[in-house]
Amino acid sequence: VNKVTAIVLAICCGGVFAAAADRIFTTPNPAAELKRLFPAAAAFSPLGGTPLHFNAYAADPRTNPAEKPIGIAFWTTDLVPEEHGYHGPIHILVGMDLIGVLTGVVVTYDSEPYGYFSVEPPKFAAQFKGKKIGDPFRVGGDVDAVSRASISIGSATRAIRDASRMVAKQLLPPEVAK
Amino acid sequence: VGAGETWGEILAPQALDLALLTAFIALTLVSFFRKSVRLKYAALVAAVGYMGFMKSSLVSISDVFRLTDLSLPPFKYSLAWYLFSLFVVVSTVLWGRLYCGRVCAFGALTQLMDAIVPARLRIELPKKIEQRAAWTKYVVLAAVMVYFVATRDVALPVRYTEPFWMFGLFGTTAMWSGLAVLLVATVFVRNLYCRFLCPVGATLGILSGLTVFRIKRWAECKTCKICEKTCEWGAIRGPQIVKRECVRCDDCERLYLDQQKCPHWIVLRRKGNTFVSA
Repeated sequence: VNKVTAIVLAICCGGVFAAAADRIFTTPNPAAELKRLFPAAAAFSPLGGTPLHFNAYAADPRTNPAEKPIGIAFWTTDLVPEEHGYHGPIHILVGMDLIGVLTGVVVTYDSEPYGYFSVEPPKFAAQFKGKKIGDPFRVGGDVDAVSRASISIGSATRAIRDASRMVAKQLLPPEVAK
Repeated sequence: VGAGETWGEILAPQALDLALLTAFIALTLVSFFRKSVRLKYAALVAAVGYMGFMKSSLVSISDVFRLTDLSLPPFKYSLAWYLFSLFVVVSTVLWGRLYCGRVCAFGALTQLMDAIVPARLRIELPKKIEQRAAWTKYVVLAAVMVYFVATRDVALPVRYTEPFWMFGLFGTTAMWSGLAVLLVATVFVRNLYCRFLCPVGATLGILSGLTVFRIKRWAECKTCKICEKTCEWGAIRGPQIVKRECVRCDDCERLYLDQQKCPHWIVLRRKGNTFVSA
């Protein structure tokens, strides 16, 4: 009887919780975050294109249609949705200029149990500013390791690296992405 | 994706963790199978030092949350975590809450405390209260599950319903104060958190309903109370071992093996004598 109860309980819990599971936590309007990545930008395009990205403009393209973007911003969760930390994807908005240098990253959401001392402190995000897509992105090398939070740090670093390289390959001139 | 990593590059940073974890699991299992007190204390010290302060590898309530969304870390980058989790689940199904008894760093810490704290400070709770209090952890589990499903917030339960963050040494003043109160209370009531409050223990308690290899009971156990009195976890009630509460500490099983103390052997000996003298 005990066995049956345990199995039934497990299945019930699983069912109830699976139903509530698929909620998405992307910041719907990251205006403030975009501004932090591109302080010089006057306007941003809506999220669009393939792969999904925002364009940053020095002047509003609606008043000057010939305006060229000065950079690109994108969500790691759109680019590498399969990349998970300890508990689910870590939501990171990445800014990149047109020569493959990161202008910054913003971590907007995570459900890592130890997120508060791994990926949430500004210190983590700050290390990626100025990083080139060809850099190693190695935890313990050019990215600081945080002991007892290696899964979170590793995942966030790979997400930034792989998403940036993917965007560069598809949206920047071929000589940059090399 | 142009990650282009070789397996060598993926495995190299994980090799040491995997080796040490395997060694720790081996120590745990050897101490369990040999019913050795010394090896058990060695395992407890390793649990606090290596699994706790060095790695912070504990099952957290956030691991229970992941049962609801099946959100797992990437396999190839988290091999030690997968080995650890597999061991926790498999050992619980095979033997019961072995994890609580000698793998969990916090449980190990309070058990080591219990070995040092003078016995006269300890308060033995009345059976009735102890049995009722043991259900509290299931209430805590239910409450945090409802909270998580409603809010998807991991941070609050991890900080305020479990003390496992302490091994990461990252806590706010409020968190450390709460922990201090808990540890002081543990001086008086042994393994207070594990027995009455831990939602992870509650989860493993539910899973332990499946336990394959159970503790043997003799016919004499129906009337004998030696093990029941010895059990520090309140897991023996008359002839029954309550699997939910049992953490396989070996105390009763060591008594079974003691031919001077266990009535089973004493009765056998007497029968033998009668037979010889008749």
